[in-house]
Amino acid sequence: MTEAFIRNKPGMASVKDMPLLQDGPPPGGFAPVRYARRIPSKGPSAVAIFLAAFGTFSWGMYEVGKGNKIRRAIKEEKYAARRAILPMLQAEEDERFVKEWKKYLEEEARIMKDVPGWKVGESVYHSGKWMPPATGELRPEVW
Amino acid sequence: MASAVDAVGEPIPTSAVLMSASKHIAGRCRGENIAFLKCKKDDPNPEKCLDKGSQVIRCVLSLLKDLHQKCTKEMDAYPGCMYYNTDEFELCFKQQKEFEKACPLN
Repeated sequence: MTEAFIRNKPGMASVKDMPLLQDGPPPGGFAPVRYARRIPSKGPSAVAIFLAAFGTFSWGMYEVGKGNKIRRAIKEEKYAARRAILPMLQAEEDERFVKEWKKYLEEEARIMKDVPGWKVGESVYHSGKWMPPATGELRPEVW
Repeated sequence: MASAVDAVGEPIPTSAVLMSASKHIAGRCRGENIAFLKCKKDDPNPEKCLDKGSQVIRCVLSLLKDLHQKCTKEMDAYPGCMYYNTDEFELCFKQQKEFEKACPLN
């Protein structure tokens, strides 16, 4: 009963003559839908992009070089300072070493005074150069 | 850290003091340093180069004393900064500039 009430056509004889009620396109059809690709071909060219990348890289490496120069100057200052004070430190250590070595030689002479043919402080090497004592300890009171 | 000189006024050659005065040492004690290094190169035996070594030590200590008398405040501030920053020059630029202004390298 309701269907006939909705789809009523005035002057229809029976239910079988009801007009169709469909969901369809509007009259004249739908508007056309674009589905084709439209990728624009504007913007920088390949050469321009390459030059921009290469230029950025070169500028960056130039800045790296500048920074390396500064760092090298700082390191050079530190090394020059070490070179300047090296003789002072070595001379102080030499004085301390000679004092200790004399004490050590006296001790050696006291221990080996009855051994015939013992030369106190004789070098154990045959090279002729002076070698520092190889006791394994540079400064026993410190280490 | 105590001052760069001890009670009597003698300079204490700690690492901070030496590194602070390194440019002055390189300038004024250059001859003694080179003579000592040459002697060491010929014979590394410490007993052979004692005299040149003592010349080096005398030159450096007298230089330190001289620096401390000429610019006492800077000679306390700059080695103090170096002591605090373990002898890093790049952390003590301010004190270094004041020190070089007060006691220039001639």
